[in-house]
Amino acid sequence: MLSLLRLEIRRMLVDTRFLILMLALPIAMYLLFTNIFGNTPPVNGLSEDVREMIAMAAFGAIGAALMATAPRIAVERTNGWLRQLRTMPISARTVITAKVLSAMVWGLPAIVLVDLTAVLDHGVRLPAWQWPAIGGLLWVGTAPFAALGTLLGYLTDGDTAFGVMFGIYLALAALGGLWMPVSILPKVLQHIAAVLPSNRFAELGWRIASGGSPSLLGATILVGWLAAFAALAGLLYRRSNALR
Amino acid sequence: MSAAAVDFDEVTKNFGQVRAVDRLNLTVHKGELVAMLGPNGAGKSTAANLLLGLLRPTGGHVTVLGRRPAEAVAAGQVGAMPQDGGLMPGVTVAGLVDLARDIYPHPRPLAELLTDADLAGLAGRRVDRLSGGQTQRLRFALAIAGDPELLVLDEPTTAMDVRSRQDFWRTVRGYAARGTTVLFATHYLAEADENADRIVVVAGGRVVVDGTPAQVKASAGGHRVRFTVGGGELAGLDRLPGVTAVEVHGSSVTLRTTDAETTVRALLCAREHTPDLEVTGADLEDAFLALTH
Repeated sequence: MLSLLRLEIRRMLVDTRFLILMLALPIAMYLLFTNIFGNTPPVNGLSEDVREMIAMAAFGAIGAALMATAPRIAVERTNGWLRQLRTMPISARTVITAKVLSAMVWGLPAIVLVDLTAVLDHGVRLPAWQWPAIGGLLWVGTAPFAALGTLLGYLTDGDTAFGVMFGIYLALAALGGLWMPVSILPKVLQHIAAVLPSNRFAELGWRIASGGSPSLLGATILVGWLAAFAALAGLLYRRSNALR
Repeated sequence: MSAAAVDFDEVTKNFGQVRAVDRLNLTVHKGELVAMLGPNGAGKSTAANLLLGLLRPTGGHVTVLGRRPAEAVAAGQVGAMPQDGGLMPGVTVAGLVDLARDIYPHPRPLAELLTDADLAGLAGRRVDRLSGGQTQRLRFALAIAGDPELLVLDEPTTAMDVRSRQDFWRTVRGYAARGTTVLFATHYLAEADENADRIVVVAGGRVVVDGTPAQVKASAGGHRVRFTVGGGELAGLDRLPGVTAVEVHGSSVTLRTTDAETTVRALLCAREHTPDLEVTGADLEDAFLALTH
C-alpha cells in the first residue's frame, strides 16, 4: 500500500498538464485577479487579497484532487493496468484508496503555494492560528472532490476523462464564486452557488479569515456531497469489479 | 501438496448467447510447461481469465493449486500476463517492478527480475516510453516478481522481436526447470512446439488434442512439401510414400505428407528438377482443419 501510494504521488511530478493547470494556474490567476480587483473595499471584513488567496487555494486543491483521481482511474481502467493489478495480491479497494490519498496529498502544495504567493507578493498577514486552521480545513475539505474524481473515473474512459473532469472543474469554480464573488452573480446563480461543494469548500477558509468559525450548514452540505459522491463511486466501483 | 496446479472440471463459460468455454476438462500438474494452442476465439483467453479469477464459470469448477482461483491470486501464488493487461503510466520501469515486489509476499530481488526480463538497461526508463516488445517484457517482470508457483501467460510474445522472443522463452523454460508451473496461450504452433512439454489444442471452447508436441503435430497432418513444376508429368505424385494429398496452383505443387523425409527422397529420385523445393510444418489452419473436422 505504501509503495503504491508513493508511486501515485511521485508520478504526478512528471505530469506537466497537472503541474501547469493545478499548481501554476491558481497562482497566475491569483496574481491576475488581485491586480485587477485589488483595490476593492473589504467585504464582510475580508480584504480582496485574502478572499482571492483562499478562493485560489481552494481552486488549486479541487483541481489537484480531481486530477489525481478521475483521469488516472479512467485511463487505467481503459489501458488494462487495473486488470493487471487484479491478477496480483492487492485488493481493488487498496488501489482506489491510494489514489484518493494521493489526491489529498497533492491538495496540500496547491494550497500552500497560493498562500505563499499571497504572503510574498501581496504581504497578506493573518493571525498565526488562522494559517493552520485555513490550511487544515481546506485540506480535509478536498475529500468530496477526491470522491467526485473517483466517480468521474468510473463514468468516463481514458479519452474523455480529462475533458469531462476539466469542464466540471471550471463550472464548479465559476459558479462556486472562486473566480468572482458570489454577490456579483445573478440571483439564480447565487442560489445554486449556495449548495455547490466548491462554494462551501472555500467558505470554510473565508469564515476563518474573517474571524469566524465554519458554518454548520456549510459543513453539512460538504459532508452531504462527500457521502453522495462516495456512494455513487462505490456503486460503480463494485459494478466494475464484479465477477461476470 | 499433491493438488494439481490447475484443474478445469467440466467448466463452461457463457457470454450471453455465446459459449466461449464448453465443458472444458484440463489438469496441469505442478512443474509442467503447457501451451494452450488455438485460433482467436477458441476460448484460450476465457480459460486464462477463469484461472486468474477474473471471470466466474457458468458451470463446473476451476481449481488453482488446490483452492479457488481468487484465493490463489490473493495468496500471491500466481503471476500473470493477462490479455489486455496494461501498465501504470508515469512511473519508471524499476519503480513499477519494485511496486510488484512490494505487493507479493515473497518477491525475487529487483536485479534478478530486471535481468530475467532483459530490462537491466531500462531500469530508469519511463513506462510510457517503452516499445511494444519492452512493454511485454516489463509485464513479464511483473508476472515473475512474486516468484509465483503458477505463471499464466496469455499471448506473451506479442510485439516482441525475434531475439526478445528467444531470450523470453529461454527464461520461461528456466523458470519451468526450477519447478514453476507455466501455462501459456498462443496461436503459433511453432511457439508451442518449441517451448512446451505438452500442448493442449483448444477449439470451440474445448480440448481437441492433448499431448506432446510430436503427437500434436502428427495428428495435425504432418508437413507440406512445395515445389515448382519445371515441366514433366504431374501424374504419380499422389503415389509417393507418405503423401496424403496433392494440390496444384498454377505451376506450384503442394504435397501433404505424414513423413516429409521419405516423401522428399522419393520425389528427388522421381524427378529430374524440383525448383523452389521447400518443406514446411503444418500450420495452425491445417492443424485445425485436421483436428476439428
